[in-house]
Amino acid sequence: MRRTARTLSIGVLSVALVATGCTRTTDDGGTGTGNEEAKTQTGSISYEAADNQGPATAVEGATKGGTITVLREFDFEHLDPARNYVNVQQLTTNLIYRSLTGYKENGTGKMLLVGDLAKDPGKDVNGDCKVWEFTLRDGLKYEDGSPVTSKDVAYGVARSFAPQLNEGPHYIQQWLYPGGEYNATYKGPYDGGKPTPDGVETPDDKTIRFNFADPHCDMPYAAAMATTAPVPPAKDTKTNYDLRPFSSGPYKVKSYQRDVALELERNPNWDPNSDPLRTAYPDAFKFTFGLEGAQIAERLVADAPADQAAFTWTDVPPAVLPRTTSGAVAERVVKGPTQYVWMLNINTQRVTDVDVRKALNYAVDKDAALKAIGGQAAGTPATTLMSPTTAGWKQYDVFGAPPSGDPEKAKELLGGKTPELVLAHANTEQRTQQAEAIRKTLTERGFKITMKSIESSSYYDEIGRKNNPYDLYLGGWGSDWPTGSTIIPPQFDGREITAEGNYNLSYINDPAVSAEVDRVRQLPAAEQDAEWMKLDEKIMREQVPVVPVYYDATYVLHGSKVGNAFLSDAFGAIQVNTIYVKQ
Amino acid sequence: MTSSAVPVARRAGPYLRVEDLKVHFSTEDGTVRAVDGISFAVEQGRTLGIVGESGSGKSVTSLAILGLHDQRRTRLSGRILLGERDLLRLSEEEVRRLRGRDMAMIFQDPLSALHPYYTVGRQVAEAYRVHHPDAGRREARQRAVDMLGRVGIPQPGRRFDQYPHEFSGGMRQRAMIAMALVNDPDLLIADEPTTALDVTVQAQILDLLADLQAEFRSAIILITHDLGVVSQVADEVLVMYGGRAVEHGSVEQVLRRPQHPYTWGLLSSVPSLHGDAEADLVPIPGNPPSLINLPSGCAFHPRCRYADRNGTRSRAEVPELRPAGAPGHLVACHLSADDRTRLYAEDVAHVGVAR
Amino acid sequence: MLRFIIRRLLVAVVTLIVISLVTFGLFFAVPSSPAKVMCGKNCTAADIAQVEERLGIRDPLPEQYVNFASGIFVGRTFGSGEFERECPAPCLGYSFRNDQPVTEIVAQRAPVTFSIVFGAAAIWILLGVTLGMISALRRGTVFDRFAIGVSLAGASMQVYFFGLILLYLLVYATGLLPFPSYTPLTENPAKWALGLLLPWMTLGFLNSALYARLSRAQMLETLSEDFVRTARAKGLPLRRVHTRHALRAAITPIVTIAGLDIGTALGGTFITETIFGLQGLGKATVEAVQFLNLPVVMATVLLAAIFIVIANIVVDVLYAVIDPRVRLS
Repeated sequence: MRRTARTLSIGVLSVALVATGCTRTTDDGGTGTGNEEAKTQTGSISYEAADNQGPATAVEGATKGGTITVLREFDFEHLDPARNYVNVQQLTTNLIYRSLTGYKENGTGKMLLVGDLAKDPGKDVNGDCKVWEFTLRDGLKYEDGSPVTSKDVAYGVARSFAPQLNEGPHYIQQWLYPGGEYNATYKGPYDGGKPTPDGVETPDDKTIRFNFADPHCDMPYAAAMATTAPVPPAKDTKTNYDLRPFSSGPYKVKSYQRDVALELERNPNWDPNSDPLRTAYPDAFKFTFGLEGAQIAERLVADAPADQAAFTWTDVPPAVLPRTTSGAVAERVVKGPTQYVWMLNINTQRVTDVDVRKALNYAVDKDAALKAIGGQAAGTPATTLMSPTTAGWKQYDVFGAPPSGDPEKAKELLGGKTPELVLAHANTEQRTQQAEAIRKTLTERGFKITMKSIESSSYYDEIGRKNNPYDLYLGGWGSDWPTGSTIIPPQFDGREITAEGNYNLSYINDPAVSAEVDRVRQLPAAEQDAEWMKLDEKIMREQVPVVPVYYDATYVLHGSKVGNAFLSDAFGAIQVNTIYVKQ
Repeated sequence: MTSSAVPVARRAGPYLRVEDLKVHFSTEDGTVRAVDGISFAVEQGRTLGIVGESGSGKSVTSLAILGLHDQRRTRLSGRILLGERDLLRLSEEEVRRLRGRDMAMIFQDPLSALHPYYTVGRQVAEAYRVHHPDAGRREARQRAVDMLGRVGIPQPGRRFDQYPHEFSGGMRQRAMIAMALVNDPDLLIADEPTTALDVTVQAQILDLLADLQAEFRSAIILITHDLGVVSQVADEVLVMYGGRAVEHGSVEQVLRRPQHPYTWGLLSSVPSLHGDAEADLVPIPGNPPSLINLPSGCAFHPRCRYADRNGTRSRAEVPELRPAGAPGHLVACHLSADDRTRLYAEDVAHVGVAR
Repeated sequence: MLRFIIRRLLVAVVTLIVISLVTFGLFFAVPSSPAKVMCGKNCTAADIAQVEERLGIRDPLPEQYVNFASGIFVGRTFGSGEFERECPAPCLGYSFRNDQPVTEIVAQRAPVTFSIVFGAAAIWILLGVTLGMISALRRGTVFDRFAIGVSLAGASMQVYFFGLILLYLLVYATGLLPFPSYTPLTENPAKWALGLLLPWMTLGFLNSALYARLSRAQMLETLSEDFVRTARAKGLPLRRVHTRHALRAAITPIVTIAGLDIGTALGGTFITETIFGLQGLGKATVEAVQFLNLPVVMATVLLAAIFIVIANIVVDVLYAVIDPRVRLS
């Protein structure tokens, strides 16, 4: 539950990449083709046998064979499961190795968390979310034909404690070693470390049990991350594991030339009947690195025979957007919200008057803020705290103002006062323009705004300081799994506020919210989704700590021979588990 | 002006005869009349000095004889008879075969005239081999070494393999001369051959040219602005102004009894070793004329102190080259012979080298 | 000659040391920490500290530099315990971004840039110089005017513009050529050439324009030299005058410029590589800067400097070979 790579990377990129004019965020979309109607998220955790059984549901009209090509700007940073945290990396490695659980998706918004290696999404042994047990399926094999065991999963978790392999998510690690840095005491199975972390048990080759001191009802989701991918100790090549993770999935690494290409070929030992998630239609995948965003878009627009079975996770840059909005090309566009929501945080320590906060919600021109970064392709106006990709998400709008705002209502709430507020923004061109757009309308609508530009690389450090001298600042948040538990508590539970490094950027600290967080967390996972959504609305109705500005969107292309390319709600990018090459 | 005006041309067998030569260039600004009807002749064993300021057409004349003018931009008319051949009627290829063999040239600045990247000997040998295609490398080298020795370059066998920049100025000019004479040409054109050299070396080079002429009996055209040089080696002198001949005669005639005010000016502007430094020099006022817009009438009239003595004639009428008294002495001037004699005696004779 | 080269190499070593120090210094003057970039999105202060430890950027700056420099000559050991890695000399360290040995990155990227540069240089030198020479010899003709016009257009065009036009015309719109890619020459020469055709054309044509103008000017200047007139006065056939006498002299400055251009380009043709998605040294450099990937930045910057230094020495030696007036001392 951290500030995202996307968020961080904006600053980093802005330092260096002026020369190429490329970005890897969706932040510079353009004028898209209309608003994707937000669908209601019905995803949840499923223990239904039908959902948890292999083989995966066949896709209508899909055919086996062919090679899917993925065009990318950069190489992956890490394929090693212990170091794997970026969404498209996870989508990719899902083809190579399997975790205990996984997302079963079909593109209709019906996302289910089911067992992957495990027979189901995990057993809450005592019903208190403290002990989780996973039982592996029968017939799971690695690429060399040897069986996948629960001990290998434990080893995979163990090695993710190593400081040398620390780039991955650390939820399970932190839950196993609470109260301090996750690897302060245990540093993995290396240099004399235990082969298994405290709290992890493997009573037999099929079973793995996690014992936590605190309740963690989200464990089925955490188990979907690469942390629980099996690594046989004999195959652990440490830092070189990045280059060739040992396959337990439908594909194995055929060749990997860093920064140039990654080729996957079928793993003949993978049994489709053991896998409820993956149809594995293509014979091979090829990832090509080092292309510019514009090149990728041009190639996919051109749809030359060599690129017809290709797709990209890179957003279409504004220059190419106009050519993707009509005809055959438009049919090859995949667009929709990602898990990121951008909010104008209101520093509630400084702006204590709820009416002013409400007035801000009426006064902010969300359209203008979006237009500054590329319009509809970059995102859609938001009214909720959670993204439409979140499980249990439901549309609501507390204020009912149009996206361009309601100046009359704002003035009415202000009652003649002119609040003087400091608006801080990262000093990148885009963020500056966006802040300027916001300032302009706020000024017209009864506020006096002072702009404060912050060096982009330290933007989140600055606004994450509890005593920061700013009133308003934009921030983006994307969850690591699509439930409210990764969105509401870190951002709105006042008990998590510390002196520095805060994610609760509005510094809202209301016991009522905290109590509600505690209540929802105790609920069975399946029941939590709707409750988080209710809390989302309650916060916006009562505390009003932020102005939800927009849901980040992705807008990508695929070739004419790519079948079943849809946005994964879990990852906010095209899902590859059930993709196929049209014959 | 016609060829009949040149009595010397009537004599038996001048090796080179130039008749009414015109060299015009077309440029964006108009037609440059670099040489506008000039005639002269040189016999074998004799030296003609062509004198004039820069832009008077003297170098253009020599380049036209060798056919080294820019073919595309230049219009030539008249006749250039080398032996019995009219060079203007020969093809470029035929002229090329004559160049370096029957007529050769040495240039003002031997450093820039020699190719910096090739050894001196090789450049001399190349001149030989191009006209002696059957000669082997060894023979050409021997011939070049001999020539280098003949022009007074010590240790020619060793110097053969040196580059121009390793030679002194005088040695370079000797090498140029060796290169020019390697094929025993009947005509040698020396364009300011000593201008770039030290005074002491100048004399050596002029002596060398004289010696070589005595030996090879070449006809030599010596182009210079230096009347001292002319007096030392030339037999005849042609004074050019604005692309035309203004005076022509033997060295004795032109230097001792000059008839044209321009010649007077040239003589007056050369320092004499005898004169006192103060009253000595009288430079010619004004600048050489534009060859695109030559002054009407006598081209020299804007700079001539005596231009008004003939009413408007100097401005209206181009003076013809006519006998100036002594046989073979020609001058193109509207002043009467008496006037010229008197004015020279009064105004000029006591100034500069003329004295 | 030998003394000259030794002395120039000594100067080069000093230059490289200075460049490496400056690069090192500049790198750490940047406000962002590479550890922050490398450790991904889940970064606590402790995580960053671990990454910094691993990357070796917690040591004092001078120590880091000495470690880096000595690694080149005697190799280094990275990590400890089971994660100890021996990085044999010449050790340039490991990429911050993905742990790849930097020597491997260089070995992988350099052939791409070399292929682009030498292929394009062959085009621009042959085509550019030939056109320039012919233009000079046919000065004022239709050919000359046309060549000048084309080269003026070419010289004022940018690689990215021309490259994108070619891409659009030959790849996107018509599919006449495949999108450029790099295949090692030793693996498949035909594929190598086909994959690099577009960058060659782009870089080759544009530089041809420059070289044509340069050669034409040089040739015209040389043709008006006295020694060319001398050669003609000797009665040499025109062809021989042009080739043996004029060309020889006109080519000298072109050799110098071509040498330096090639040397500079070998350090990376970033724009060309970027336009055509080729993973050469230029792209490696820019990406490394972008990701604060110090070992790769150091390697590529030093490599580029070495190419320029070598090109300078080669040009000087060539110059001395061509022009006897030049003495290497």
